[in-house]
Amino acid sequence: MTREALCEARHVSHDFVLPNGKPLRVLEDISVAVAPNEVVALLGPSGSGKSTVLRILAGLIKPSHGDVLYHGQPLQGLNPGVAIVFQSFALYPWMTVRQNVETVLEVRGVARPEATERAVQAIARVGLGGFEDAYPRELSGGMKQRVGMARALVVDPEILFMDEPFSQVDALTAESLRAEVLDIWSRKERNPSSILMVSHDIREVAFMADRIVVLGGNNPARIRTVVRDELPRPRDYQSTECVALIDQLHGVITGSELPDVAPTAGPRESGFYEPLPRVSPGEITGLLEYLDARGGKGDVFRIATQTNHEFGQLITIVKAAEMLNLVDTPKSAVLLEPDGRRFVQADPEERKAIWRAQLLKLSLFSEIATVLRRQRRHTIDRDFVLETIVLRMPQEDYEKVFETFIGWARFGELFAYDETSGTISTYERRRSAQTKAVSE
Amino acid sequence: MQRLLGEAFAQLGRARRIPWVDLLLVVGLAGLLFTFIDIGREWTGVHRPSVAIDLSPAALPRYTLFSLFRGLFAYVISLGFTIVYGYWAAKDRVAGRLLIPLLDILQSIPVLGFMPGLILALVALFPHSNIGLELAAVIMIFTGQAWNMTFSFIHSLRSVPSDLREVATVYRFNWWQRLRNVELPFATMGLVWNSMVSMAGGWFFLMITEAFQLGQRDFRLPGIGSYMSVAVERGRGDAMILAIVAMATMIVLLDQFLWRPVVVWSQKFRVEEGGDQVLMRSWFLDWLRSSRLVRGIRDIAHRLRAAPPRPTKPHLSPAIAADAVRGSVRLSLLALGLLIVVLAWGAWKLVHLLQRVPAVAWGSAAAAGFLTLGRVLLSTALGTLWALPAGLAIGLSSRLSRVLQPVVQIAASFPAPMLFPLVIAALRWAGISLGWGAILLMLLGTQWYILFNVIAGAMALPADLKEAARSYRFTGWARFRALYFPGVFPYLVTGWVTAAGGAWNASIVAEFVTFKGQTLQTPGLGAQISGAAASADFPRLAAAILVMSVLVVAFNRTVWRWCYQLAEERFSLSK
Repeated sequence: MTREALCEARHVSHDFVLPNGKPLRVLEDISVAVAPNEVVALLGPSGSGKSTVLRILAGLIKPSHGDVLYHGQPLQGLNPGVAIVFQSFALYPWMTVRQNVETVLEVRGVARPEATERAVQAIARVGLGGFEDAYPRELSGGMKQRVGMARALVVDPEILFMDEPFSQVDALTAESLRAEVLDIWSRKERNPSSILMVSHDIREVAFMADRIVVLGGNNPARIRTVVRDELPRPRDYQSTECVALIDQLHGVITGSELPDVAPTAGPRESGFYEPLPRVSPGEITGLLEYLDARGGKGDVFRIATQTNHEFGQLITIVKAAEMLNLVDTPKSAVLLEPDGRRFVQADPEERKAIWRAQLLKLSLFSEIATVLRRQRRHTIDRDFVLETIVLRMPQEDYEKVFETFIGWARFGELFAYDETSGTISTYERRRSAQTKAVSE
Repeated sequence: MQRLLGEAFAQLGRARRIPWVDLLLVVGLAGLLFTFIDIGREWTGVHRPSVAIDLSPAALPRYTLFSLFRGLFAYVISLGFTIVYGYWAAKDRVAGRLLIPLLDILQSIPVLGFMPGLILALVALFPHSNIGLELAAVIMIFTGQAWNMTFSFIHSLRSVPSDLREVATVYRFNWWQRLRNVELPFATMGLVWNSMVSMAGGWFFLMITEAFQLGQRDFRLPGIGSYMSVAVERGRGDAMILAIVAMATMIVLLDQFLWRPVVVWSQKFRVEEGGDQVLMRSWFLDWLRSSRLVRGIRDIAHRLRAAPPRPTKPHLSPAIAADAVRGSVRLSLLALGLLIVVLAWGAWKLVHLLQRVPAVAWGSAAAAGFLTLGRVLLSTALGTLWALPAGLAIGLSSRLSRVLQPVVQIAASFPAPMLFPLVIAALRWAGISLGWGAILLMLLGTQWYILFNVIAGAMALPADLKEAARSYRFTGWARFRALYFPGVFPYLVTGWVTAAGGAWNASIVAEFVTFKGQTLQTPGLGAQISGAAASADFPRLAAAILVMSVLVVAFNRTVWRWCYQLAEERFSLSK
């Protein structure tokens, strides 16, 4: 990079601490720089740590390893050149629109009359003139986000940070907000000089960004690639270049999230199990039904759009189905496997049998099944399973894996779980207990 | 009706161009000023060994105002205490580990535990004026008010949504700006609700705090509580009724002129955006808002605030900010150290005092404790027996709840001990002993907590669950078992905890009653506490109070906590 970066993360890694006190690496070796006059987007599926990267650059989170620089100097505390627009708007419900904007100026020691004047200007700048005395609860999502933008713009930030700014706004409003943000940014004589945005919407980043940093992987997430987007503005979603760029991004994400090499082969030898994706059996069944109704195949990104899923979520569902040998994924296509087809066409009892058989091919389920069989009362403690998960899947949040584990096992009537006593038992045992209760 | 009246007044003001509202306001303010002067004279007056209470009806309004002022003054102290103590406990994790359990213990100590020390110390401090005794009374009322407000504030401080906190960080609010713009507004609704409960709690022991006897010494202050206790001593039924009416009037007026407007005002701080909630209105607040005088004053205040352009502070450099943090840590540590020293000293004194308690007394206190525990549980059960069905009936009917909910709230604020003489007369007539009668007396004060919590729970039942029960033809018992009971259970638990806490407190006045100049008592921990205080036997008083605190805290930590967990895990409707 020739120009000096405004703000930069160098080889940053970050750990979260799990409830059992062990660190969980969520980001690995992240280097991102924001130069003057550019729009940088962090793209990735949910859970890929995009928002954490943004918060690290803003100085809200101190990274476990690596450096954060602001104008070449190490960042101490909060980043002075940054204002953030939040996904959830984060407006104070007890303040009017004007007070919400005004307060951040008063906090900086700006006298009241000037603060009011600047707040009113900022509100007008985002097209909310006339709503100064409304309370946030009276506004729609899109209008609330405009207030969030006015609040950020009023402090005249060098870089505007936006954390999934349009994901809680309806699609049409989001469209106009995107254009307006670019409009505000493109007036070169005024701040913000640059924008850093976090998004999971591929079309959105293709439309807005100069550079797209694609994050991927889970615990830890890494930078997969950086894609330059030099299409002229204003951009047209339908232009061949833009379509090609979106396709390129699709390719990058599929390569990273759904690699064609079977992921099961490698890690299992070392005593580690493949993590369970956080997906419910209902979602997997839904995917299979969807494919079955469309000739047994589909494209990941098309399915995501048609079923109103964020692509990251859909990819997780596809991964789960693939783990259970119900689908196959050459490139970004999803194909129904023979077992998957059998599953869709089966009646509920058969479905459970197929599901059960597939579960027992997964190491975690087969290990627990073996242990249960050896127990005299065919019952084990919740803690035993948790420990197994911690041991075999050290890179996972064990409580979430446990939830998924129970959900999958119950669906196949493989194991039963009693929440009050915290015990897991075989289904046969539970059935006999039930019949006993009935006969009594 | 009241609202109509208010609107009528407002209309009148606008139509005739005579500022009725403002005139009334001026008269009201003048009255207030006069009261303050009178109270000031009373406080600084020469200390009299014993105040003669005039039982004539004409004296009652003045007494009522005195009591009201004590309650409000104590409330102001409670609010200050809540904000300082709550902020400290919530912000400093280390200090919080001591401060929160301490609050739990303080909450379990009945007012008689604070009283002797406070009175003797303060009277000794101001030997020549009434200030000492007045302050002691105010602080005792404070001990009935402060704790639940503080708990609510700590809880609010800790549950500020993370995005609202993050905004404050990103835009560099300092601690004061954060408190003023984020934390206090967020805590307001909970604080207002708890303030109303606290005010009621403060009145509960009014008869004791204003007319306290410590051994041979009689500490009495002019007020509605002492008026009542003198009336009871002399067996003057007419004066008792008058006092009850005056108290009820005061509570209704407080509700209409203070709490209702405050509640309506606090609605602007609500965080949820549910559109279907019915917002409360207050005729008095509407009326104030229509006053030109008030508007004028507000305008002036606004201009004053805006006028002097504050000097623009340079941005805090990281070094200065770090210094400020280090300073506050040091201050907190210092205060914590001081607190620990005071607590250690107190504990030392207590141990000394308790050494004089014979082993037999401990045994009898423990036995009495279980007897009283039995009464507490029985009164809670009895309260549930009627308040659960009644609360469901009221809460499920929007018409009934609209009319009755405010009435129940006011009934709950009435200090039950003022009704005891009437009930005891009835009990004697019916030939019921105080041993059982005490349960009824406890019930008198605590049933309302169960009732209004059940009402709130019934009102919060989701409409779809009610419709489902109707459409599948659940009737009577089946509907109660499947829907109503589980649905209101979390609220019921809150009601139980509050009611049981109140019942422990009430045992002090319910197991040991003065009636027509004679003292009735029945074995129990409450009676032991009252008896020890009456005979100025401080070691026994301390022992009995210690036993009560231990029992209350142990019960909270085991049974009630278990109930709360059950309510949260099994019966929560928010999951």
